[in-house]
Amino acid sequence: MVKKKIAKVLAFRYKILAAILILLAGGLVLLPKYQKHEGIKPEELLSNTISPERYMTTDRLAHILINQDPSFILIDVRDEKSFASYTLPNAINIPLQKLFDEGSVSYLNQNQYDVVLFSNDNFYADQAWILCNRLGYKHLRVLKGGINEWFTTIINPVKPAENMSASDFELYTTRKAASMFFGVVYPEQVKAETPKVVKVAPKKVITIEKKKKAPAEGGC
Amino acid sequence: MGPLIPNGVIPIEWDNIIAILIGIVFGFVLEASGFSSSRKLAGVFYGYDFAVLKVFFTAAVVAVIGVYYMDYLGYLDITQLYVHPLYLWGAIIGGIIMGVGFVAGGFCPGTSLCAVAIGKIDAIVYVGGIMVGIFIFSELYPLFLPIYDGYFYGNVTLEDSLGINPYWFVFIFSIIAIAAFVVSDMVRKKVKKIFY
Amino acid sequence: MKKDLKQKSKHIYWNPYYGGFLLGILILFTFYLTGRGLGASGAMKSSVVSIIESVSPTHAEESNYYSKFITEDESPMKNWLVFETLGVLIGAFISGGLSGRIGWRIQHSPKITSKRRLVFALGGGILFGLGAQIARGCTSGAALSGMAVLSTGGFITMLAIFGSAYATAYFFRKNWI
Repeated sequence: MVKKKIAKVLAFRYKILAAILILLAGGLVLLPKYQKHEGIKPEELLSNTISPERYMTTDRLAHILINQDPSFILIDVRDEKSFASYTLPNAINIPLQKLFDEGSVSYLNQNQYDVVLFSNDNFYADQAWILCNRLGYKHLRVLKGGINEWFTTIINPVKPAENMSASDFELYTTRKAASMFFGVVYPEQVKAETPKVVKVAPKKVITIEKKKKAPAEGGC
Repeated sequence: MGPLIPNGVIPIEWDNIIAILIGIVFGFVLEASGFSSSRKLAGVFYGYDFAVLKVFFTAAVVAVIGVYYMDYLGYLDITQLYVHPLYLWGAIIGGIIMGVGFVAGGFCPGTSLCAVAIGKIDAIVYVGGIMVGIFIFSELYPLFLPIYDGYFYGNVTLEDSLGINPYWFVFIFSIIAIAAFVVSDMVRKKVKKIFY
Repeated sequence: MKKDLKQKSKHIYWNPYYGGFLLGILILFTFYLTGRGLGASGAMKSSVVSIIESVSPTHAEESNYYSKFITEDESPMKNWLVFETLGVLIGAFISGGLSGRIGWRIQHSPKITSKRRLVFALGGGILFGLGAQIARGCTSGAALSGMAVLSTGGFITMLAIFGSAYATAYFFRKNWI
């Protein structure tokens, strides 16, 4: 009895398969259209944005610069004028308007270096960071506080008051030493009659390899 | 997000191992479908066996529907897939020559390899012939250059060149395939049976 | 009894729709993993290039066509398609072994001699090799994988192959029927 039933169904098996095929193909036509968006999902972007890891402190940056760590690139997202008047050592200028120009993307979308974005404060660097992050670019960070913070902490560190803790003094000495590295001269140093020698860090040549993306190639 | 290897999800070192595994499945399916038999393959041109047509079109329809569903669901980026380039006259002339070769030899390269694996001597000769053909082409390359490199339209899909909605095309394509299956079965009933 | 069963299964192949379905899934999977389709004649091209290179390196370098596929440090055999083709041989051998189809033989219509079959196989092979180079792909590389991504080139190649095969089938009927 059961066998008969199965045989009955099986007699139609090709028709059933054909119907399934047409249904599947028709499904493609009937599916609601949607706008495909490039880049990562909004949720992922949010979690990247609120993660504190995307910032780099000025102290850490000073440390990197002094050690001349070759794995970092600094990118200045301010306009050319501000870049010409002052910038951090070895920084590359990519103004925000030109963020996605042909030449710039190879600096941003790569796996070789860690990129530190900065502007006068966080604002423009943050914008650049969000834009890039949405496209899925990796290894990007923002200099916390930007150049203003750089001035108040590294170049011109505030001497801690007498009643502050020892760690503050330690931080101050480090920062002071760092600022000397970047060419700031202190009165007690002048006494030793050394003329101000601005130490110029050797210009770093940055070559970016095109992001390794195996192109899909042909059959026969 | 696919394709996995070009996007670095699977390291590129796995490429060749995956190639062998894919090849094993490819060879197994072709052989088990009977593509190692030249008389079965040639049957499609004389109406006594439509296995080639059925396997070929079923595979194409299943693959294309799958690709578009995976693209829709976001598992596969269709723009990153390799699209066979269109060299118009190269494709037409090459295809015509291949068609004659197909009827004369009874194999195409993939199926001849399957037949070689199970010891068909005619297939071994055929593979040798293909190599000779490639050799002739390479030696006379300057002669073929105008059609080999000319009339290039880029890596275009039907969507680019005909301006039709790919979803509709897939739908129509599967209906055509099913119609072809039905017709082929009717033809087969009329043609004299051949045992091989 | 067992031998009898084996003898029977020799000519029993998979249902073509089943084989086609699996093949389609395989193409889909290949695209998902590697972004490219299947291929077959590419490996033969690599073999020809490496044979020529070892026989006459200067000739291979001078030729415009071979030199495209010769790189300084890597052999032309170290190629995705060559590995895939190795897999095809292994897979077909396994399948043939499971259903007892392995053995040296020449398959031809009873109306023709083995010699005639081999001559036609050689001629067909030459034509197919030539055509596959002109069209940059064979039935699996250009037509099948091309159709899976709706490539215009793939469709045109497929139509040309089957069109000309049907058109000329009449002249070769004695070989097959």
